Amino acid sequence: MTDPAMTDPGTTDPAVTSPAALAVEDLVAGYGGVPVLDGVSIRAGAGSITAVLGANGAGKTTLLRSISGFVRPRRGRVLVGGTDLARRHPEDIARAGVAHVPEGQGVITELTVEENLRVGALARRDRAGRAAALNDAYQRFPVLAERRRRAAATLSGGERQILVIARALMAAPRVLLLDEPSLGLAPRVVAQVMELIRQLRDDAGLTVLLVEQNARSALGIADKGLVLNLGKVVAEDDAAALAADVGLRRHYLGF
Amino acid sequence: MQEFLEFTLGGIGIGMIYAAIALSLVLIWRGTRVLNYSQGGMAMFTTYVAWVVISHTGNYWAGFVVALACGLVLGAILERAVVRPTVGKSPLNSVIVTIGLLIFLEGLAGIIYGGQYRSFPAAYSVKGLKIGSVALGISPSDLFTAAAVLAAALALALIFRYTSVGLRLRATAFNPSVARLLGIRIGRVLTLGWALAGLFGALAGVLVTPSTFLYPNSMDSIFVLGFTAAVIGGLDSPVGAVTGGVLLGVVLSYAGGYLGSDLVLVYGLVVLALVLMIRPNGLFSAPVTRRV
Amino acid sequence: MTLARHLAAAIVVAVVLAALSVQLGAYRDYQMAEVAAYVVAVAGLTVLIGLSGQISVGNGAFMAVGSYGGALLMLHLNWPLELVFAASAVIAAAGGAIFGIAAARLRGPYLAGATLMLAVALPTLADQYTGVFGGDQGLSTSITTPAFLGAAFPPTRWLAWVTCGAALIALVLLANISRSRIGRSWRAVRDDEVAAALSGLNVARLQILAFVVSAGCAGLGGALLAVVTGIVAPGAYTLTLSIGLLTAAVVGGLGSLFGAVWGSLILVLVPSYLTNLAASHGLSGAASSSVPIAAYGVVLIIVMLAFPAGIQGGLRRLFGAPTAAVPLNALRRRRPASEHQEEGLHEKIT
Repeated sequence: MTDPAMTDPGTTDPAVTSPAALAVEDLVAGYGGVPVLDGVSIRAGAGSITAVLGANGAGKTTLLRSISGFVRPRRGRVLVGGTDLARRHPEDIARAGVAHVPEGQGVITELTVEENLRVGALARRDRAGRAAALNDAYQRFPVLAERRRRAAATLSGGERQILVIARALMAAPRVLLLDEPSLGLAPRVVAQVMELIRQLRDDAGLTVLLVEQNARSALGIADKGLVLNLGKVVAEDDAAALAADVGLRRHYLGF
Repeated sequence: MQEFLEFTLGGIGIGMIYAAIALSLVLIWRGTRVLNYSQGGMAMFTTYVAWVVISHTGNYWAGFVVALACGLVLGAILERAVVRPTVGKSPLNSVIVTIGLLIFLEGLAGIIYGGQYRSFPAAYSVKGLKIGSVALGISPSDLFTAAAVLAAALALALIFRYTSVGLRLRATAFNPSVARLLGIRIGRVLTLGWALAGLFGALAGVLVTPSTFLYPNSMDSIFVLGFTAAVIGGLDSPVGAVTGGVLLGVVLSYAGGYLGSDLVLVYGLVVLALVLMIRPNGLFSAPVTRRV
Repeated sequence: MTLARHLAAAIVVAVVLAALSVQLGAYRDYQMAEVAAYVVAVAGLTVLIGLSGQISVGNGAFMAVGSYGGALLMLHLNWPLELVFAASAVIAAAGGAIFGIAAARLRGPYLAGATLMLAVALPTLADQYTGVFGGDQGLSTSITTPAFLGAAFPPTRWLAWVTCGAALIALVLLANISRSRIGRSWRAVRDDEVAAALSGLNVARLQILAFVVSAGCAGLGGALLAVVTGIVAPGAYTLTLSIGLLTAAVVGGLGSLFGAVWGSLILVLVPSYLTNLAASHGLSGAASSSVPIAAYGVVLIIVMLAFPAGIQGGLRRLFGAPTAAVPLNALRRRRPASEHQEEGLHEKIT
């Protein structure tokens, strides 16, 4: 499998770029007998942020885990750049260019900051590429450069979030799945993280699926949004339109 | 005083063997929470292979190297074929399967080589060294044992710290799910862990068998004492494994020396019981908290 | 009324076995006695593993404790047989209590390691104190047929009666415990220790009790075996014995008393069959006697990977009945020290 190349960020309008960088088709997945996702479909173009919203238990985390391979979908397809990755092993999906930053961040606390980043690059074949990726990470996130030798366990919540996003980028993914990046962070830090995600879309042309309870912040940077309820997509629209729909906001999103 | 010196140095010598077994247990336990009960059996088996090579070629080092290589291969094969299917299931599964492996290897050795005690050569002289007229209680062979285990442990530490392979091993050991998310093929990493463990076990086997003689059950006591050493150091800690091994070796040497040497295993049992009651997570880990 | 039901079943079985012992020749009677001895030990072990979820590869050591204790009582105090058997069980149970208390907080692999240590270390005591234990030669434990049976009564049949009688009593007791509140508490602890503790069960005491029961059974089995073979020597109580008991329990079906019977039958009948088979194919004596040992290993691995519910589980499934035999994957997974561990390895790896 060749290393995923970065898509050309020539345009950031998802409607114009085609085919969809990430397409989820009629996904049915769950744990045990009950399906948590009951036919979910998503299309997201290169260089876009799609906010995935909804209450607890709606299936948002399961959606990301189905895409990244930790949950085996029962039906449906997950297309990344045209290739169906559903039902593959998580390692293979990661190497195909899908980076998943899980809920709770997933910092490897026993390692240093630099070691965490280097782990992120291990999927790359070439040593030069890994070294270059590390330098890029330090350039883009100076706060990590300052703390490179420290144990990852000593980082603050916001710093950890930046670390795991930086780590996810080390293998030059095409798709970035973020699960509740704002969880547990102070409002000022949340704003920083959101701004960071926005920059990633603009600079790197990433396709971002952003799962968030904090719907307001998410819709603030997203291009499109969709709302999950009980495993189905109940609303899907441009982010601005969703944010403006007061009834929807009150009913599903809590603001 | 001379006795004390003899016991101490002798204890360090045998302690290195316990350390090697303990290291192999830690290597596997860290990533997988599987305790490889067949580690001693694997070591015994690779020592038999070495014995065959030495008998046929007359060359000790050929046998030594072949034993280590067999350890690598045996570890990899056993992980892939027998232990991998137990991953994710109840811990009793892996316990019973590795015990099955142990007894299978012992039976197989008995079938192929018979049950009689065979002698196995040492790398160097086993005659005790003296400084002037003071007997040190160790021989050139003991010195080689200590040096070999320390060198291997050091090499392992360097691999862990400075190479990508080492990083893979550590990441997989600390957080397998995140490792998978980052694209690490943890299946291969697990196989490598078992292969390295097999290497250390094979090393221990070749180094200790000259004094225990070679027979299908020859590594049983060494294994349980190696297990005790690993528990002392903390099953998660490679440094603990080496320290625990040396500590146990010295303590048992004193006990055997001053109290009578036939009950070494019973003393070991007492040590194990004490450690498990007082500090079950070992000396080098944080005390145990139960997560609810 | 389970006690009555169990007793009635036991009486029926006793009559059947007695009749059988008359029909079968001396050699088969001897084997029946052997099987009975092992059934007691294996039953205790299967209850420990299957019901309380604790593993032991050291019950051979408890058999040794029971048989040496019984032998010493017979030789030095001339106690009658029933008393000797009861005392062996008690002595071994006491050993089980000591071990259980020391090991109360151990789980899974740590516990197995401790029992392994026990299995390897304890027999060395017999080699050490040869004055008491008779060293390698061991102690003699042959018994004579009681006078009231007449001079023509075959000694092997008496052995079969004695051992089967003791085994049936032990099995009735085990069956009762299994159905009692204690048995249910064991299963609760096995399935979810935290939930059991939160609902008021004293986990440590239950775990220790399970060890006491299984050690007592092993001790009784050891004493029975000593009487059958006529000798108690350290060479009989090897690691292979402990693992043989484990194999019997696993193959028969963990947690099932019927499974203990199947397992013991296999334990007594199959090894000699395999050894003879190997010898007839040209293997030397030492090599042939290693064949059953290798077979234990293969069996343990295959059963654990493919048929975790053992024979009894398979039979029950065949007849569609619910079974006491516990497939090992149903046994609760202990929480690993680091939370991450569980998730990453839970999904299937390539």
